[in-house]
Amino acid sequence: MVCGNMAGLELLSDQGYRLDGRKASELRKVQARMGVFAQADGSAYLEQGNTKALAVVYGPHEIRGSRSWIRHDRAVINCQYSMATFSTAERKRRPHGDRKSTEMSLHLKQTFEAAVMTQLYPRSQIDIYVKILQSDGGNYSVCVNAATLAVIDAGIPMRDYVCACSVGFVDETPLADLCYAEESGGVSSLALALLPRGGQIALLQMDARLHQDHLDALIEAAMTACKGVGKVLDEVVRLHLKEVSVLTGE
Amino acid sequence: MKDTPLSNCERDFLLKAIEEKKRLDGRQTYDYRKMKITFGTDYGCCFVDLGKTRVMAQVSCELVTPKENRPNEGIMFFNIELSPMASPAFEQGRQSELSVKLNRQLERCLRNSKCIDTESLCVVSGEKVWQIRVDVHMLNHDGNLMDAASIAAITALCHFRRPDVGIQGDEVTVYSPEERDPIPLSIYHMPISVSFSFFQQGTYLLVDPCEREERVMDGLLMIAMNKHREICSIQSSGGIMLLKEQVMRCSKIASVKVSEITELLSKALENDKKARKEGGRCGFAESMPQERITALKMDETSVEMTDVTERAKDIVQKTEAPPQLVRSPVVPVPGVGQVGQGLQNTWGLEEEDEEETEECDNSDEEQEEKVTKMEEEEHEKEASREGDVVEISDSEEEDVVILHPETPDKTPKNTESRSHQKGAAASKKRQKK
Amino acid sequence: MAADMRLPTIQKPVSLSVSAFDRKDLVVPGDVITSDTGFMRGHGTYVDDDKLTASVAGEVQRVDKLICVRPLKTRFNGEVGDVVVGRVTEVQQKRWKVETNSRLDSILLLSSVNLPGGELRRRSAEDELTMREYLQEGDLISAEVQSVFSDGALSMHTRSLKYGKLGQGVLVQLSPSLIKRQKTHFHNLPCGASIILGNNGFVWLYPTPEQQEEEAGGFYTNLEPVGLSDREVISRLRNCLLALAAHKVLLYDTSVLYCYESSVHHQVKDILKPEVMEEIVMLTQQKLLEQEG
Repeated sequence: MVCGNMAGLELLSDQGYRLDGRKASELRKVQARMGVFAQADGSAYLEQGNTKALAVVYGPHEIRGSRSWIRHDRAVINCQYSMATFSTAERKRRPHGDRKSTEMSLHLKQTFEAAVMTQLYPRSQIDIYVKILQSDGGNYSVCVNAATLAVIDAGIPMRDYVCACSVGFVDETPLADLCYAEESGGVSSLALALLPRGGQIALLQMDARLHQDHLDALIEAAMTACKGVGKVLDEVVRLHLKEVSVLTGE
Repeated sequence: MKDTPLSNCERDFLLKAIEEKKRLDGRQTYDYRKMKITFGTDYGCCFVDLGKTRVMAQVSCELVTPKENRPNEGIMFFNIELSPMASPAFEQGRQSELSVKLNRQLERCLRNSKCIDTESLCVVSGEKVWQIRVDVHMLNHDGNLMDAASIAAITALCHFRRPDVGIQGDEVTVYSPEERDPIPLSIYHMPISVSFSFFQQGTYLLVDPCEREERVMDGLLMIAMNKHREICSIQSSGGIMLLKEQVMRCSKIASVKVSEITELLSKALENDKKARKEGGRCGFAESMPQERITALKMDETSVEMTDVTERAKDIVQKTEAPPQLVRSPVVPVPGVGQVGQGLQNTWGLEEEDEEETEECDNSDEEQEEKVTKMEEEEHEKEASREGDVVEISDSEEEDVVILHPETPDKTPKNTESRSHQKGAAASKKRQKK
Repeated sequence: MAADMRLPTIQKPVSLSVSAFDRKDLVVPGDVITSDTGFMRGHGTYVDDDKLTASVAGEVQRVDKLICVRPLKTRFNGEVGDVVVGRVTEVQQKRWKVETNSRLDSILLLSSVNLPGGELRRRSAEDELTMREYLQEGDLISAEVQSVFSDGALSMHTRSLKYGKLGQGVLVQLSPSLIKRQKTHFHNLPCGASIILGNNGFVWLYPTPEQQEEEAGGFYTNLEPVGLSDREVISRLRNCLLALAAHKVLLYDTSVLYCYESSVHHQVKDILKPEVMEEIVMLTQQKLLEQEG
């Protein structure tokens, strides 16, 4: 059921243009800033097109509250994903605590447990909080990208950046970085979190029907898109590094 | 109640076995456990047994008002219940992480793939639609709940019959099963999920992990496909890093498995349909196997026998030839290894001790027990020469005078730590009694 | 009551000189530092396929054969001899847990504190039961790091009269990387207040005590009201500290003093305005350069 028509909207026109005028493999504009909060250990704000997310990292610090989570050999990563009530077209009743948010939080936790070198911090806890301020598709990817920047800002060692992107499959063409209209159009979408240098997949999630033969092409397109995002994040981090080192006069 | 943690020995054992491509129950790496699908008396009730994992799914329907943004589509609702009946680790009431994970995966697998034609569930557009509710209950948790749940859910949906509805003008009549035969749901395809578990940072992979294997796994990859080789959902969980090739390989394996399972599923549905038509007995009570207490019969477990002969040969080769049977009346002190008969003790240090112990032990021995002692000594010498057979004695009775040296390994406690040495040394230590 | 509101403005990008772009020693996670296997790896790096790779974003520091990467911002990593200011979070058996902005709470053992009155004796069971009378949850203390446990937690001691429970004053929480390491971290500033620059980023400002309490042993807190002039000095110092921290200037007694002097003709509450902050910090940096050069 791979259709390009949804209520008259063509997700991919004959000339190869999408709803917002992008080409099939073009990403949305990514803008990011690190160190937006002074009191958190690490923070970042990221915009990918119209989707805006804010990520804050606290830690590593002593485990507060329940002692049962203490792991003697590594740090525990605690993630919370929430959407602002004003982030979607209709006001969100439950910003967090519902199944979708819990699932997203679990996915974020899983992604960062793979990338952050937690063995260096036994018996401590790292908190990652992400909030979506405006939702226009690709929520998970934007969260992961924002959280990566926040973790780097906090000085927590990571193997590599974690870049994420969503791709969809329409008319035998993979579309990179889906927006909300494309996502809800019943398009098979795949969200991928990748560590660009090693090409390792930290999280792979796909919904809706896709024939097995197209899987390879789709994953390839996703990896290329993630690497593109990775380049942008890299630039942001390097610029921030230079700015701060100039200020500290080192 | 909290789950008992897995001991390190068990964990190491499982991981090592997986490295040698062996599984606890003798399966191959890509084998599923024995699957059994049975149905209850009502339409829409289905039990799935995957090895010892047991899952029940029940489908029910209700007329409700549709959602505002989808006025002519029916509603599908999925719910997985993890009750403490399945495993003491599950807590009643609290929505644990696993429960959220399974629920979301089942939702994505069945709802987002649009396996059911929701528009056919519409009765009166904007006013009345059918709400189909699938409740899956875990009855026993022995690993791989996701696969069992997905199979149970889709089978129950295929099995379910909803009441027929008649519309005359503005009136809507719902016919009971006696008035008109209930109609099955229109199902486009049957998505089935296959779980792959990864071990040792993704080096080894297993299909259909049992509960023990799930405990030691690094992560899980769930691929839901249908028999037309369309992937309905992929989800990786656990903190593993995958490579694209691994994902592609898993998808190929999944397509094979899914076609097998779909066949089994269709056959089960067929059988049930036939049974109902013939008026035969069907239902849950009938499908329970007759496990009488008097018949202590279990299925044969397959035992890995492929390299038994080689290993046996190795062990036999390693052992040295048994020493010659000593026919002399002088019985050596129990515990003395016959490395060479009558040779001087070259260890030097313990000469005085040795002579003392020899004397005190010799005084205790009786002549009649010579022969039995000999045999036991030989056994024990054999064992000591192995080097890898460790005799650990916890006995504190070193001061007890030994009359019957059947248990010659009453070594003092301090030799336990040194019992890993080769045969000669081990036997030498026993001289120190 | 006057309120100050302003719309957000685009921040001026920090002017980067050309040389800043060529700096090769700034790395990001995943960057390969060297493929030479002759180097030892220090903090902030990991080995991947015989290649030494950075795991944090920061500056590469090389000491002989040791390569490590120092991140820009990190939690406090204590070393023996550091002066820290911390808050007591828990009272446990024979020790207190103190929160010091590091990755695990620091520990203050009962045997490492001076008993009130300055007695030197073995701690009895009674001492253990009356621990709460000395330090409770929420108390602020200054201490020195005695040793580091194997898991990274710090063990502290207050075995000197200058350490102990802190009384009235203002706590400013900053990043540990902004505090310069010096011989002494306790300063009596000539402007009329005293400052403790904890290595963990916590800075304590308090009015200079008139006489030194010799026998207090650090547990007696002076709760007499502090005069208005002292309070003003302390508030001004606090705002100056925040201004310096916002511009990532290294903090030590001289820089704080210069900043205080540069801010004299502004009102205390104006110091937090962005343009005033910039002005003050620029003046401070100028003065510091003059002093060095």
